[in-house]
Amino acid sequence: MIEFLTIPGVILIAGAFLLPFIPEKIRPSAFLVFPLLALFVVFTRPDGYTVTGEFLNYDLVMMQVDSLSRVFGIIFAITAFVAGVYAFHMKELGQQSNALLYAGGALGVTYAGDLLTLVIYWELMAIGSTWLIWARRTKESDGAGMRYLIYHILGGGLLFSGILWHLATTGSLAVETIAQEYSVANVLMLLGICVNAAVIPLHTWLADAYPKATITGSVFMSAFTTKSAVYLLIRMYPGWDVLIWFGAGMAIYGVLYAVICKDIREILAYHIISQVGFMVCGIGIGTEMALNGATAHAYSHILYKSLLFMGTGAVLYATGTSKMVHLGGLFRKMPYTFGLYMVGALSISGIPLFNGFISKGMTIDAAGYAGNETAMLLLLLASVGTWLSVGLKLPYFTWFDKTENDIEVKKLPLNMYIAMGIAAFACIFYGLFPGTLYVYLPFEVNYQPYTIYHLVEVIQISLLTFLGFWLLKKKMAPELILALDVDWFYRKAAPGVRKVLVTKVDAFYDRVEDGILTIAGFLTKKFKNPMLWLNPFTDKKNEAFRYSPSMEVVMSFIILSFLVLAIVYLV
Amino acid sequence: MKKIHWIILGILFVITLGFEFTTLAGYDSHWWNAIPAFYAIFGFVCCVSIVYVAKFIAKNIVNRDINYYD
Repeated sequence: MIEFLTIPGVILIAGAFLLPFIPEKIRPSAFLVFPLLALFVVFTRPDGYTVTGEFLNYDLVMMQVDSLSRVFGIIFAITAFVAGVYAFHMKELGQQSNALLYAGGALGVTYAGDLLTLVIYWELMAIGSTWLIWARRTKESDGAGMRYLIYHILGGGLLFSGILWHLATTGSLAVETIAQEYSVANVLMLLGICVNAAVIPLHTWLADAYPKATITGSVFMSAFTTKSAVYLLIRMYPGWDVLIWFGAGMAIYGVLYAVICKDIREILAYHIISQVGFMVCGIGIGTEMALNGATAHAYSHILYKSLLFMGTGAVLYATGTSKMVHLGGLFRKMPYTFGLYMVGALSISGIPLFNGFISKGMTIDAAGYAGNETAMLLLLLASVGTWLSVGLKLPYFTWFDKTENDIEVKKLPLNMYIAMGIAAFACIFYGLFPGTLYVYLPFEVNYQPYTIYHLVEVIQISLLTFLGFWLLKKKMAPELILALDVDWFYRKAAPGVRKVLVTKVDAFYDRVEDGILTIAGFLTKKFKNPMLWLNPFTDKKNEAFRYSPSMEVVMSFIILSFLVLAIVYLV
Repeated sequence: MKKIHWIILGILFVITLGFEFTTLAGYDSHWWNAIPAFYAIFGFVCCVSIVYVAKFIAKNIVNRDINYYD
């Protein structure tokens, strides 16, 4: 029992259920205790450590530690803490509890040693994260939250169906590497994971929901759902060729939309799809270097993406809007937020001395070393788009462009700056000392990011991309528009589907109900005094209360039945 | 952007070219290493392409009024 309570995911989930009993004043501080406890456990449990149990005659491995789970466990626990600091000023119990539940689900997935345990944590993530969208309490967030939930119920259903099929065919529940074989079970599980990894075209829930979640909620969301799916892909589907091209496609698709979109949080949401594309591509390549690259990039990405969401969340908090058309000219009013945001922007763009440089380069080079130069060039193309959209376009049209902006800017709580500061420090620290991350990677690292070749490559690409942006920046000027994505198909189809599957079915049941009630009314009326129609020779004026016709009716039925049977027998 | 900023960026670019034609002159791990200043050309061409392709897609296919789904 004690061992069960020391599982990192369980610690956070227990925290989610304990928070309601903690006074509001100290609840934000109490929140931070649980990720720290989880982080302590993550660091102290050695490779090979397991916690087992039994459920319905199945042997469950509720916690299993190895180098891959540890590196994801570290970053998930750190992010839960940093996001908790960012949300320190926020007193809403529902958001606090569900954020812990969500983070606990992600940590649980990371350490789950069997697929049944895994799917439970998987679903808990969906519940906690949906709350963080609905907590915004706007019409848009209500709709986006419902679409998000339906998508994740579908994804969870696919994963669970795959698990049951896998169990039925192999008898195994172990979370382990699956050979590249397109069986029903393998494909169902892969599709379920791909929903959470936002693999195109299953990605629309992300770009739809993340910009509409609460300011603090989106920081949590940027870290857990897609990266726990990346973890699972590394664990179960390394070297599946199909992932190379879906990953490269995601990387480019995400940056194209990041250039098109005009909402700063939507740009970042599309950029998650792009960055996860790098990881998915690395997983598809499947070499030790590529898997190290995908893992390192997930680690770096969680840090800088949470920093970017914190920076844009700060803008939304201060100004009340995330639409670029209303922003611009904020540099004088929010210089520190700009500086901290730029640390994240330089990191995601893979600029030397920041953590994106030490992980993105590894993933891209892994494609080259594996002989896949096409994938390598596609990822380099996506890198250009990253720098262009998140490193240049977004900050330029938010903090510069106009000389001044009349928009009222609210003062940020100190805890927001502290959280952004911690994340920014981590981005620079890992950029300067890559060995501190490489030591935790699942395979031995033989990669040196700071070579003259890499520096020349990145600096040339970045400088000329900057020149291109400067010449063409008017083409990306803010507008008040909405960019359609493939969710158009189901959002537009929704009224028709609702009409066929809900309204029509409801109307049919209504008609059936009316018919049954009419028949029941007719029969009740007729059987109130059956003598009126069973015996046409009886006195029409007789009334039920003074004349009991029961025996006569029973006898009539008996004689009638006898006659029918006799006729049938004779015929 | 002031003139001094462009000068600094220009100097940085020249330094990278200097390394490319000296230290990295014999570097040959990909076919494009034979093309001078490949990464600079690649960065510029990709940037321009992304901007125009995104603009084309936005204008002709995906852009709608902000209240489109309401």
